[in-house]
Amino acid sequence: MYRWCVSNALPLRDQEGRILKWYGSVVDLHDWKQAQEALRTREAELAHATRVMTMGEVTSSIAHEVNQPLGAIINYANACLRILKGGSGDLAGVTTALSAVVKDAERAAAVIARVRALARKSPPEMVAVEVSDVVSDVVALVRRELTERRIELITELYSDLPLILGDRVQLQQVLLNLVVNSIEAMRNIREDHRQLFIGARSHLEEGKRLVLVTVRDSGVGLKSGEISRLFETFYTTKANGMGMGLAIGRSIVEGHGGRLWAKPNAGQGAIFQFTLPAMP
Amino acid sequence: MESIVFVIDDDPSFRRSTQLLIETAGFDVSSFASAEEFLRSQRPSVPACLILDVRLPRLSGLDLQKELFKAGIQIPIIFITGHGDIPMTVQAMKAGAVEFLTKPFREQELLDAIRRAIDSDRAARHERAKLEALRGRYESLTPRERKVMERVVLGMLNKQIADELQRTEKTIKVHRSHIMQKMQASSLAELVRMAERLRGRI
Repeated sequence: MYRWCVSNALPLRDQEGRILKWYGSVVDLHDWKQAQEALRTREAELAHATRVMTMGEVTSSIAHEVNQPLGAIINYANACLRILKGGSGDLAGVTTALSAVVKDAERAAAVIARVRALARKSPPEMVAVEVSDVVSDVVALVRRELTERRIELITELYSDLPLILGDRVQLQQVLLNLVVNSIEAMRNIREDHRQLFIGARSHLEEGKRLVLVTVRDSGVGLKSGEISRLFETFYTTKANGMGMGLAIGRSIVEGHGGRLWAKPNAGQGAIFQFTLPAMP
Repeated sequence: MESIVFVIDDDPSFRRSTQLLIETAGFDVSSFASAEEFLRSQRPSVPACLILDVRLPRLSGLDLQKELFKAGIQIPIIFITGHGDIPMTVQAMKAGAVEFLTKPFREQELLDAIRRAIDSDRAARHERAKLEALRGRYESLTPRERKVMERVVLGMLNKQIADELQRTEKTIKVHRSHIMQKMQASSLAELVRMAERLRGRI
C-alpha cells in the first residue's frame, strides 16, 4: 500500500566540498493529504447545495424562460396544421413557421442546458472564461424575475475584458447570489426606484490586470455595523436565508485569486464588487 | 375589415406565433410589444378584442386595463397568465376581463375566447350606438320639453304638470306630443324605458 510522504535530504560537506554524510527525513503526509481532499470535497458539496438553494429563488423565472418558447412552438405548430388542412398551399408560411419552431426549441434547450450546468455537481474545472458570458448567463436566468418585480436592469460590459482562468459555474454562482440578494433588497422599495446595475470592466491594480465586476442596487442598503459581518457564515438578514451565500461567494472568489467586498451605494442601496485576475 | 384582434406581448417570438395562429384562423390581427405602443396606436373602429399578458414590463396588463377604463376605451380583454397568478387573476376579473388563458394555451380555447369576445364587443358597440342615438334625440329637446318629460315619465298627469310649471294643460299637451315625436317613442311605456336608459348613463 502506498502513502503520501515528503522526503528531504541534506548533505554535510567538508571544506573541499566533499560529502561526508547525508541527513535525511521522511514525513508521512498521508492523513493530512486525505483530510485536505475531504475538506475540498465538503467545500464543493456545500457550494453545490448553496447554488441549488439560490437557484430555487428564481425557479419561476426559469420556468417562464422555458414556457415562453414552448408556448410559441405550440402556436406555430397549430398554425402550420391550419395552413396545411386549409389547403391554401401556403408553403412559404409553413416554412417560416417551422424555422421559428426550430429557433424556439433551441432557445428552450439552451435554458435547460444552462440550468443543468448550474445544478450539476461536478468538481471545479478551471478554464478560460469570458466574464461577460458569465454575466449574460446569470441575466438570462433572472430576467423574468426582474421584469415581474419592476426592476430596471442596466448592464455595462466593456468589450476589452481580458479572459480569466476560472470555473464558469462557480462564477455564475457568485454573481447569481449577489443578484438574488439585490432583488431581495429592493422588495420594499418604491417601484420606480428599483434599479440593478451589473458591470464588468478591466482594471489595473499594482501592475496586475484584473476584471472588476460590480453589482449595484437601489435596495435597503447596508447598516454601518453590517458590512463586516456580511461575509460571516450563517449571517443573514433574510427570513429563510441560510447565511451561506456571501461566505461561499467570497471563498470562491478567493479561490480564483480575487477579492469580494461590499460598500454602501452613494444615495441608496449597496454595491458588491469582486475582482478576478486576468489570465497570463 | 370586419373585426380585429390586438395582441400585446413583450416576447417577440411568442407574439409572432400568436399572431400567425390567429391569422390562420381567419382574423385580422395587429400586435404590439408593449402596452404603451398599443395606447399610442390608431385603432380601427370595428368590433375587437385584446389578448394581453398580465405581466408585461413597465406598464403591466393590469395597469393597461385601468388606463383603458380611465380613458373610456371599452374593449373585451383576454388575459394570458402564467401559473400561480391567482391574486392578479382575481383583480383583473373584478375589473371586467372576459377570459383567462394560461400560457401555453390550447388553440381551441383561444379561438373560442376570441369569438366570444368579439361577439360581445359587437353587441356592446351596438348598444352604445343605440344609446348615443337616444342621447342625441334627448339633446334635441328644449329645456322646457325636458322639464315636462321628467314629469311625464314619473307618471304625472297633464293637469298636474300644468299646475306645477304654471302653464295651461293645452300647452303641456303640445309639449308632450313634441316629446313623443322627437324621442321617437310610440308609447308612454317606451318613453319611460328611454328615460331609464338615459338616467343610467348620463
